[in-house]
Order: sequence, then structure tokens, then C-alpha cells
Amino acid sequence: MKLRFDTDTFREILDSLLRNKSRSFLTGFGVFWGVFMLMLLSGGGRGFKQMLNNEFEGFAQNTCILFANQTSKPYKGFKEGRFWEMTYDDVDRLKNLMPELETVSPTVALWGKTVVRGDVVSSRAVVKGTRADYALIETPKLKYGRYINDTDNAQERKVCVIGKRVYNELFPEGGDPCGQRIRIDGAYYSVIGVNWNEGGININGNAADMVIIPINQARKAYNLGNAIQLLCFTAKEGFVMSDLTPRAREIICRAHYVDPTDEQALFLLNTQLIFGIVDNLFKGVNFIIWLIGLGTLLAGVVGVSNIMMVSVRERTTEIGIRRAIGATPRQILGQIISESIVLTLVAGMSGIVFSVLILYGVELGTMEDGILEAPFQVPFWTAMLAASLLAVLGVVAGLMPALRAMRIKPVDAMRDE
Amino acid sequence: MALIELKGINKTYNNGQPLHVLKGIDLQIERGEFVSIMGASGSGKSTLLNILGILDNYDSGSYHLDGTLIKDLTEKQAADYRNRMIGFIFQSFNLIGFKTAVENVELPLYYQGVPRKKRHELAMEYLDKMGLSPWAHHFPNEMSGGQKQRVAIARALITQPQIILADEPTGALDSKTSVEVMGLLKQLNKEDGITIIVVTHEGGVANETDKIIHIKDGMIGEIEENTRHDAWGGSIIK
Repeated sequence: MKLRFDTDTFREILDSLLRNKSRSFLTGFGVFWGVFMLMLLSGGGRGFKQMLNNEFEGFAQNTCILFANQTSKPYKGFKEGRFWEMTYDDVDRLKNLMPELETVSPTVALWGKTVVRGDVVSSRAVVKGTRADYALIETPKLKYGRYINDTDNAQERKVCVIGKRVYNELFPEGGDPCGQRIRIDGAYYSVIGVNWNEGGININGNAADMVIIPINQARKAYNLGNAIQLLCFTAKEGFVMSDLTPRAREIICRAHYVDPTDEQALFLLNTQLIFGIVDNLFKGVNFIIWLIGLGTLLAGVVGVSNIMMVSVRERTTEIGIRRAIGATPRQILGQIISESIVLTLVAGMSGIVFSVLILYGVELGTMEDGILEAPFQVPFWTAMLAASLLAVLGVVAGLMPALRAMRIKPVDAMRDE
Repeated sequence: MALIELKGINKTYNNGQPLHVLKGIDLQIERGEFVSIMGASGSGKSTLLNILGILDNYDSGSYHLDGTLIKDLTEKQAADYRNRMIGFIFQSFNLIGFKTAVENVELPLYYQGVPRKKRHELAMEYLDKMGLSPWAHHFPNEMSGGQKQRVAIARALITQPQIILADEPTGALDSKTSVEVMGLLKQLNKEDGITIIVVTHEGGVANETDKIIHIKDGMIGEIEENTRHDAWGGSIIK
């Protein structure tokens, strides 16, 4: 006689499990909770990572940003505490002296501007002057029109690319705004594009609040002279930004008589470092998630094993009767292990299903304009892996109790209850 | 050859102090006999029954069941013999509480791998024989002692065994149901020719059988022929 898997076997298993419903339920709950936590945490972790990545969206991950600040060290006869500014010449200086750099692009920004279209007003906008190559640093997500180009800049055209919020406030009726004029500080600019970017990582404030104009126009309109505020650059493929930053700092500082060791005077932001930190952070978070999840799951499985042990002891007579009327030890072993597998699987599967439902709810909650922000859902194969892991754990949990059940002799059934 | 043939069976229990329970049992039981084994408690009659039922091993001697030597069987072989050759009836009925009467009767066939439908039909047939078909879907705790024992008998019969081993089958029953159950066993012996061995310590029960084997201190004592059912002065049960 061999172990059969048919409806009969299954009914036997169900009968045994349903006989003690609340106990089976509570036992299964341990496994359920373990799987639920594991799936929920791993799905959630994935989603949050994606959401964070969304924040970085459209932002070159190997960018370095330079920003001039008050000096903190005396240098070459200059006292500390001096204010200084980078100039337009620094762009060419870097570009020429450091062939490893891909793009070098300056920006200027003016905060708290009010943008007017007819009698509609959008306040707290940021006017930002850039060049065409700035698009390589912070990629615009253009809903309408185009970005600033080199001709705009060379001819100092009064054109602008507006951010999402500015667009929504100035053009509540929607539609393509290109060619329409808006007014900032008494000057009229025609809209040439709408930038739909909304990433959380931005330079000079939120992209949604931006009105981007050609930098030459900005310098002229706001009398900025030769000064620039930020100098952004990216490295060519194959270069590590951290290796390049000391030289960039050196070049800029020497040109302006600033101590190259003065870290306060020239603030340097290397995004590659930040991305690295975030990446490592999520690796750590993932590790902890699996540690907690698997730990909880293991505790649940130990619970199943424990209860099966109690159950076998309780059912000594029943198992003895079964043996007396012809069950082989192997059949008994099979039954106990099957019970354990079924209990573990059913509990685990409901854990998976429940976590999938919850994660689906989270996805719905974070959805915006019907577009999925980040996939929180557990990947299909992770769920499959979890399911097969559960089956294995079921066998492991059932093994000890089953071996004990196998040792029950039919004579035990005859002893008076 | 006799259906059951025991030669020089010895059995010692080694639970702390060695206990020599069976001291050289020689016994032959022919096909179709209705036998009782009588003895006081501690006489070794239950041990003998366990050995007959292949529930327990013996230390020395030989036990032939239907010509096969029953010795050092694997658990699997033992289970198979029990399943096909022997039907058990216990004092405490030993029905499985969470299964209905018909499911209990089906169980031996389940372990034989008989398909569900056929199993169910057969079980209903045997329950009907016991006059229990209206109770087929009741659970043991909804039935009287006599009914439970009849379910147990149906379960013992369903594999069409050659032997029925009954361990104090009336021990938990009142005298009226005891008579009924013994009558039922007698009928099975007469009509279906099943060999029946009853272990008891009650004279009245033993008197219903055709042969009474007395066992005392682990040895076979007197073997009474009782075809006229007048042992114990033809006493009634209890």
C-alpha cells in the first residue's frame, strides 16, 4: 500500500484539522502572521524604495553641484568671512581643464516671484535661468512644447518653460499654453513648454514651481552680471565622481583666491554619494525585513510543530485504533505530515492573499491621476517562492510529531481510556 | 492444519521488573470455531489476544495463522495481516469519535485502498445487517453502548476477516445488550462460518461459546467443550 493523494486522503486531513477548529486556527495564525509580515514588509520595502527612486527621477545620478559661500579660512591675504561668487568663466574653466566632465552647466535662480497671466496670478514661483545643456542634469518631463535651446540663450529670448503648479494655476482651463504670454516682474515671456516633472530632488526648489528662462536673459533682466549661483556638472561614463571633485574644487578655488581646503567656502554636493547611501540603506532595510519576516515565520512553524505534538499525544487512542484496523506506520506518518503541510499551507496562503490585498490597497492609496506611483505588490515569483517554502516548512514541522505518531503501537488503543 | 496454531509461546514484559506473562502456550483453533478464553485479570489472556491479533510480539515459540508463520513481521506486513485476516472488537468500542458510524465502518477499507463509493456501499450494507442503517450518519456519542458495539462489529466484519477477536465485548454493556451482542456473534459464527475468539472473565459470556479455554498464570488450563451451553450450570449472562 502506498501513500495516496486523493479526495479521501484530503478528507481525512480536513476532518482531523476541523475537529479542533479553534486550535487549528490559532496554530495556523502564527504561520499566517509570519507570512503576512514577510510579504507585507518586502512588498512595502519595494514600494518605498521605488517611491524614493521616483523622487530622484529625471535627476542624473552622477551629478555634482557647486555653490559659493562665505569663506571660513583666510587665504592669500584675504581675511576669512569673505563673500565671493562663481562667474560664468568658471564654466569654461572647468570644461577646459577637466576633459573627464561630460556636461558643465550654470544656473541662476530668483525666488518668490509672482507670475501673472491676464488677471490670473501664481505666486511663490521660482525664476530659474539655465542653458540647454541643463536638461542633461535635470531631465525635464515635457508635457507640452520644448525646453530652452541654445538659440534662445544666444539671442536672449524672452521665453519660458513653466512647472506643473504654475501651469495649473495660470491655465486652469488646461490645454497647450505654448505661445501664450505671461508676465514676471514687468517683463513678458512667451511660454514654450510645460515641465511636468515633480521629483522630490530638485535644484533651486521644486520643479513644479519653476519658470525656466534662458540664463542670459535672466542675467540681463535681473542685472546679475557675470555671477552664477550654481555650477552643475556630470562625469563622463567610467569616471567616479568622488575622484574628480577635489580637482574641480581646486580649479574653482584657485581662480577666486579661496583656500581649496575651505569646505565651507565652496559647498560641494556629490549626488553619487547620496545615491550610494540610499542604496545601502535599502539593502540594510531589506535584510532586516527578511530577518524579521523569516523569524516570525519560523516561530509560527515551531508553533505548528508543537501543537501537532500535543495533538498526536491526544490522539494516541485514535492512532492506535487506526493501526489496529490496518493502517501502516507509513500511512500514519503520511497523515500527520499532510496535516501539518495543509495547516501550514492554508495559513500561509491566506497570509499571502491577505498581504496582497493590503498591498493592493496601498497601491490604490498612492495612486495619482490613475497612474501607479510605485509597485508595492509582492512579485509573483516571490509569492511562489514563499508558497514552496511553506510546503517545506510544513514537512519540517510535521516530521517530529509524525515520527512520534508512528511509534504508537496498536496495543495502546486497547488500554482503557 | 488448524487456522490458528500456537506452539510454546512465551512472552515476558521487561518494564523494570521482568514479568513472565505467557509460559509456553500450546493452542489450536480450527476454522469456524466459536471459542472463549477465560481467566482472571493478570492471567495473561489479554496478552494472548494481542499476540493472536498480531498487535504484539512473542519471545519464543511459533504462531501459524492460516499456515503462515507470524513472527518478526515488519510493521507493514503486520498491518496488512490485521487488515485482511482479523477483525477486532474492543471492550471500549474504540470508535473514532469525530467520524460517523458509516465512516467508522469504512475506515478499514480506506486503508485497503478501496474506492470511496464502493466502500460506502459496503459499509451501509454491513450497518444494515446490524440493523443500524438509520443511525449511519450519527456520531458515536449519539448512540447507545449496544449500538456502538454493533458499529464496531460491522467495522470488524467489513474486511471479511477469517477471525474475529473480541476483547471483553460485553464489558461495557448491560445484561440485555450483552445478550444481544453475544447472539449476534453466535449468528455470525453459525451463518457466515467466521472463527470467533472472545476474551472474557464472565462465565455467562463464556457459556455462549462452543469451547471455553481457561488460562491461569500464563498457562492453558482446562479446555471445556461447551456445545450444549451448560457450563456454569447453563447460567444466564450476569
